[in-house]
Amino acid sequence: MDSSIITDLFREFTPMAPMLVMLLGALVMPAVSLGYKRRGGVAAVSLAAIAASLLINAVLLASGYSGEYGGLFGYDAFSGLMILLFQSVAFLAALVSASSTETTRLHFGAYSSLLLAATAGMMFVATADDLITIFVGVELASITSYILAAMKRKDPRAAEAAVKYVIIGGLSTAMTVYGLSMLYGVAGTTSLDGIAASLSTAGFSWAFGIAVVMMIAGYGFKIAAVPFHMWAPDVYEGAATPVSMFLATGSKKLGIVVFFKIFLLLFVAGSAVASFATEEVQYAFAIVAALTMTIGNVVAIAQTNIKRMLAYSSIAQAGYILIVMAVMSEYALTGGLFHMFTHVFMKGGAFLIVGALICVGVGEKISDYRGLGRRAPFLAFAMLVFLFALAGIPPLSGFTSKVILFSAAIFDGDGVMTQWIWLAFVAVLNSAISLYYYARVAKAMYIEKGESEAKLKVPAPFLAAIAVCLALTVILGVYPQLLLDFCADAASALFG
Amino acid sequence: MFVEYTWLVPLLPMICFVAVGLIGKRTPEGGAYLAIAGAAASCVISVLVAYEFFTSAAYHDPGYVTAEIEWFKIPGGFTLHFGYYIDSLACLMMLFASFISTLIFVYSKGYMHEQGAKKRRYYAEVSLFLTGMLGLAVSSNFLEMFVFWEIMGLCSYLLIGFWSFSHPEGDDAADNAASAAKKAFLVTRLGDVCLMAGLFVVLYSFGSLDYVRVFDAAAIHAVDQDMLVLGSLLIFGGVIGKSAQFPLLDWLPDAMAGPTTVSALIHAATMVKAGVYLVARCYPLFAQASEVMLFVGIIGGVTAFFAATMALNNMNIKRVLAYSTLSQLGYMFLALGAGGYLIALGIETGDHHLIAAGAAGYVAGCLHMANHAFFKALLFLCSGSVIHAVGTEDMRKMGGLHRKMKITSVTMLIGSLSIAGFPFFSGFWSKELVLETVMHASDYGAEGYLFTILWLLAVVTAFMTAFYMFRMWFMTFSGKPGHASEHCHGESPASMTAPLAILSAFAIGFGFTILFGFDALLSIGVEGPHHQFTVGAGEAKGFEYLSDIFGSAYTYLTIALVLGAIGIAHLMYNKRSVDAGRFNGGGESFVYKALTKRWWFPQLYDQISWKLGYGVARGVDFIDRQVVDGTVNGLSNAVAGGGELIGKAQTGDVRSYTWAVVAGVVLLFALMLALFYFIGGGI
Repeated sequence: MDSSIITDLFREFTPMAPMLVMLLGALVMPAVSLGYKRRGGVAAVSLAAIAASLLINAVLLASGYSGEYGGLFGYDAFSGLMILLFQSVAFLAALVSASSTETTRLHFGAYSSLLLAATAGMMFVATADDLITIFVGVELASITSYILAAMKRKDPRAAEAAVKYVIIGGLSTAMTVYGLSMLYGVAGTTSLDGIAASLSTAGFSWAFGIAVVMMIAGYGFKIAAVPFHMWAPDVYEGAATPVSMFLATGSKKLGIVVFFKIFLLLFVAGSAVASFATEEVQYAFAIVAALTMTIGNVVAIAQTNIKRMLAYSSIAQAGYILIVMAVMSEYALTGGLFHMFTHVFMKGGAFLIVGALICVGVGEKISDYRGLGRRAPFLAFAMLVFLFALAGIPPLSGFTSKVILFSAAIFDGDGVMTQWIWLAFVAVLNSAISLYYYARVAKAMYIEKGESEAKLKVPAPFLAAIAVCLALTVILGVYPQLLLDFCADAASALFG
Repeated sequence: MFVEYTWLVPLLPMICFVAVGLIGKRTPEGGAYLAIAGAAASCVISVLVAYEFFTSAAYHDPGYVTAEIEWFKIPGGFTLHFGYYIDSLACLMMLFASFISTLIFVYSKGYMHEQGAKKRRYYAEVSLFLTGMLGLAVSSNFLEMFVFWEIMGLCSYLLIGFWSFSHPEGDDAADNAASAAKKAFLVTRLGDVCLMAGLFVVLYSFGSLDYVRVFDAAAIHAVDQDMLVLGSLLIFGGVIGKSAQFPLLDWLPDAMAGPTTVSALIHAATMVKAGVYLVARCYPLFAQASEVMLFVGIIGGVTAFFAATMALNNMNIKRVLAYSTLSQLGYMFLALGAGGYLIALGIETGDHHLIAAGAAGYVAGCLHMANHAFFKALLFLCSGSVIHAVGTEDMRKMGGLHRKMKITSVTMLIGSLSIAGFPFFSGFWSKELVLETVMHASDYGAEGYLFTILWLLAVVTAFMTAFYMFRMWFMTFSGKPGHASEHCHGESPASMTAPLAILSAFAIGFGFTILFGFDALLSIGVEGPHHQFTVGAGEAKGFEYLSDIFGSAYTYLTIALVLGAIGIAHLMYNKRSVDAGRFNGGGESFVYKALTKRWWFPQLYDQISWKLGYGVARGVDFIDRQVVDGTVNGLSNAVAGGGELIGKAQTGDVRSYTWAVVAGVVLLFALMLALFYFIGGGI
C-alpha cells in the first residue's frame, strides 16, 4: 500500500501522525460536548477521531513505513503494531462508554477528551526513541487515567480507588524518574540508541543495576507485576467498567511496551559485551514473571467479585507476557506481542460483558451471574468463550498465543534450546489453575439457578463491541497467521 | 484415492454440529437425522479409507500415510501443521468410533425423544464430541491432537452437565449433574496440564510436534533419553486424567449424571479411549524405557483391581458399568505396559523374540480396546433401555424384567458374558491375551516379579468382573419384579433395540478377528539403536493363538474362576439361597463401607483440591487484601465524603500499599544481589 497520501499531508511529522489526530480529537472534545446535549453525539466524534487515527496507522503499517522525528519519535513496524493495539482498546472503550450507566453524564466531554489523551500518551510511548519522550508519554497516559478512574457516578469506591491509584502511581513515577536519571548518569545521553552504544562499551556498573531495579519497580506498577500489583484490583473494581477495561488491556500494555523498548534494546546491545550482566537481569525478570502469574492466579480463586477476579487474572496474564523479558529472543517477542493482542480481545470482551450487565442491573458478584445462560444466552456464551480463551482452551486465541509464548521459553528461533523450560512449566501449571476460577463463572452462568428468570436486553453498542471481541477471539485462535506476520515484523524491527 | 479425503472424517460431524446448532430446531427430532447422517457418512468414509490403507501395498512399507498443511508459522520459530496421519491404529480407532457413534445416535433418537427443545443442544454437542474423537484419531501431530483432546473435554463437560437445569429426577439430581460435570472437567484438566507439559518436553527434545518427525528412529536416539522418559511420563499423566486411571479415577463414575447415551459414548467409543489411543500412539517413545512401561502397567493393574472392587456392592446400574469401564481400561493399560516392557527389554538386549512377545501385548491392548468398545456400548445402551422403561437407576427397584423386555435382556446377557470373558465371546480372547502377555512379562527383567503380582490382581479382577456383571444382570432381569419394574410397559422402540442387536453381534464375534489376521493389520514401528522392528507387518499368527490360549493351564484357571463367579452370583441374586448380607455384616463391615465410600477417594480429593487449594488461595488473598490492605472493606462502605476519604486513605491502607511497593523494591535489590552472587556475572 502507498503511504504517500499521509506523508504528503503530514510531511516530517508523519511518524507522529496517528497521535496528532488523536490529540486533536482530545482538544476539540470539550467544545463538542458544549454543542451536544446527549452523550451519543460526543461519543460519535471521539469514535471518528479514533477511527481516523486508526486508518492513518493502518495505512502506515500496511505500507511498511518507517521514519523518525528529531531523534525523539520513530515509527516502525513495532510502534505501528503497538499503536494499533492501543487504538483498538480505545475504540472498544469509546464505543461503549456513552451507553454505559456507570460513566459520567455531566462531564462526558471531559471523559472522552481524557480517554483520547490517555491513548495518545500510550501511542507516544510506542514511538518513543528517547527516555524523555517515554517518560512524558507514560505520564500523559497515567495522569489522565487517574482522573478517568475517578469519573464514576454515584459510587464512592471510584474516588477511593482513584486516590490509591494516584498515590501509588506517584510513588512509582518517583522511582521511575530516579531510575531514568541513573541511566542518564551512566550513559550521558537520553537517547535509547545512545545508551545502548554507551553501555556496550562501558559494560556493567552498579549505577546501572540500580537503574534497572528502579525501572522494574516503576514500570512494574503499570504492568501490575507482583509485588507492585496491589492497586490494580481495587482500581479495576472501583472504576467504571469501560475504564477498567481500558486500564486492564491498554494501560497494562503500556508498561510492557516500555519494558520491551528499554530493556530489550539495552540487552540486545549489551549482549555483545561479555562483562555485561544480562543473565542476572533475565533471571530477575523470570522470577518476577513466575511470581506474577502464580500470585495472580492463586488469589483470583478466592475472589467473589467478578471485576476483582478479572483484575487478578490480568495480573497473571501480565506474568505470562513477562516471559518475553526473561527469554529475550525475537521469537519470544513475537509470541508476546501476539499474546498482547489476543489478551486485548478476550479480557476486553470479558470486561465489556461485565459492563453491559451492570447497565441492566446485574451485580458484580459471581453469584449474580447465576442462570445467566437463560437470561442472556448470547452474553453468557460470549463470556464462556472469553473465559475459556483466557484459560487457554483450544482452538481459541488464548490457546494459540499461549502455545507460541510458552514454547518460546523452550527454544529460541534458531532451534536452540533455552534454559527457561521451567518457566514454561510454571506457566502451563498456572493456566491450569486459572481454569479453576473461570469454570466457577461458567458454572454459575449455565448450571446454577438464578433468582430472576427475566431476559436481559443490553445496549446495542455493548453488543457490537462484544461481538467484535468474540469474532477476533475465535479468528485469531483458528487463523493466527492473520496477525502473526505483523508480530514477527514488529519483533525484528525492535531487535533491529 | 480415498485416503486423500481423510480430512472429511472429522469435518462431517463438525458440519453437523454447526448445522444442528443453526437449524436443528426446524428439522424433525431436533436435528437427530442430521447428526446420524453425519456420523454415518464419517463411518462410510472411514471404512473406505481403512480399506484402501489396508489393501494398498504402497502404504505397507512405511506403515503410515500422512499429509499436512501449514496451520501457522512463527517466522524464525517452528511451524505448526494441520493434517492427517493414517496408520493401522488410526484406522482402527476411527472405524469403531464412527461406527459405534452412529449406532448410539440412532439409539438416541428413541431415547431422547421426549426431551423436546433440548434435543437440539444434545445433537449439536454429541456431533462436536464425535468431531473431537475422530479428529484426535487422524491428527498428524501432537498439538492438533491436543486441540481435539480439549474439544472432547469441553464437550464432555457440556454433556455430563446436560441435565443440570432440569433433571427428570428433580433438583438434587440436577445439582449432582452440575458438580459431576465440573469435577470431570477439572480432574481431566489436571491430566491435561501434564500432557501439555509433556508436549513441551517433546517439543524441547525433538524441535517438532509432528508424528512423522517425532516417531523417527534417528530422532529418538538423538535426543536425551532422560528427557524422553520425562516426556513419556508427563504424557501418561494426561492419559491418567483422561482415561480416569488411578489415582484420578474418581470423576468417571460421577460422570454418570449425564444421559445414558452420553455415558455410552464416553465409555465405549470416545473420551476414555483417547487415553488408550495416546499410549498406543506414543509406543515408539514409551517403549524406549522399561521403567515407563512398568509404570503404565502398574497403574493399569492397580486401577483394574480397585475399580472392580468398587463395583461389587454398588446398587446403581450405571455406576456398576462405570466401574467396569475403569477396570477394563486398566486391563488395556496393563497389556500395553506389559507389552511395552518386553519391547523395551528387547531393544536393550537386542532380543527379537522379546520384541515379538511385546508386540503381542500391543495387539492384545488394541484388541481389548476394540472389543470393549462394542460390549460396553452394548451394555450401556441396554442399561439405557432399562432406565428408559422403569425410570430409575437403582437395581434394588428392578428385577423380573426379563419377561417384559426380552431383547434388552438377551442382548445385555450377551454383553455381560463378553465382558466377563466367557469362553468364545469377544472379551474372552482379548482378556486371555492380556493375561498371557502379563504372565510373559513376569519372566524377564529385574522388575519382572511385579508383573506376577499384577497378573494375580488381573486374575482376581476377572473373577470380580464376572461376579458383579452377573449380580447386575440377575438383579435387573430375574427374580421377583421390583418396585419400579411394575411401571415397565414393555420393550423399547425399534430405534433403540436395533442398535442393541447389531452391537451384540460384534460383542459375540469381534474377538474372532484375532484368529483371522487382526494382529497382521495392526502394525507399529518400534525402533532401537540396533534394530528396527515393525510389529505385526503382515504376519498373522492366526490359529496359533488357539494352541497358545488353550495350551495353557492358566486359561482353564480363569475360565473356572469366571464360571465360579457366575455361579456365586446366581446363588446369591437369582436363587437367593445364599444371603448376600452375610458377607458384609449387614452393611456394617469395614470392607463394605470402604467400597461404598469408594475407598475414600472422593474425600481425599476434597481434602486436597477443594480445601487445600481454596485454603491456599484464601490465605494468599488474606495477606494480599487484609493484612496489607487492612481497612479496604470497611473503607468502601464507610467513606461517604471526599475529605474523610483522603484522611482514611492517608492513614490506612494506601500507606500499607506504599510499604509493599518499597518492600518490593528492596526485595528486588536483594534478588539481584543474590543472582549476581549465584550466577557470578561480571561485576
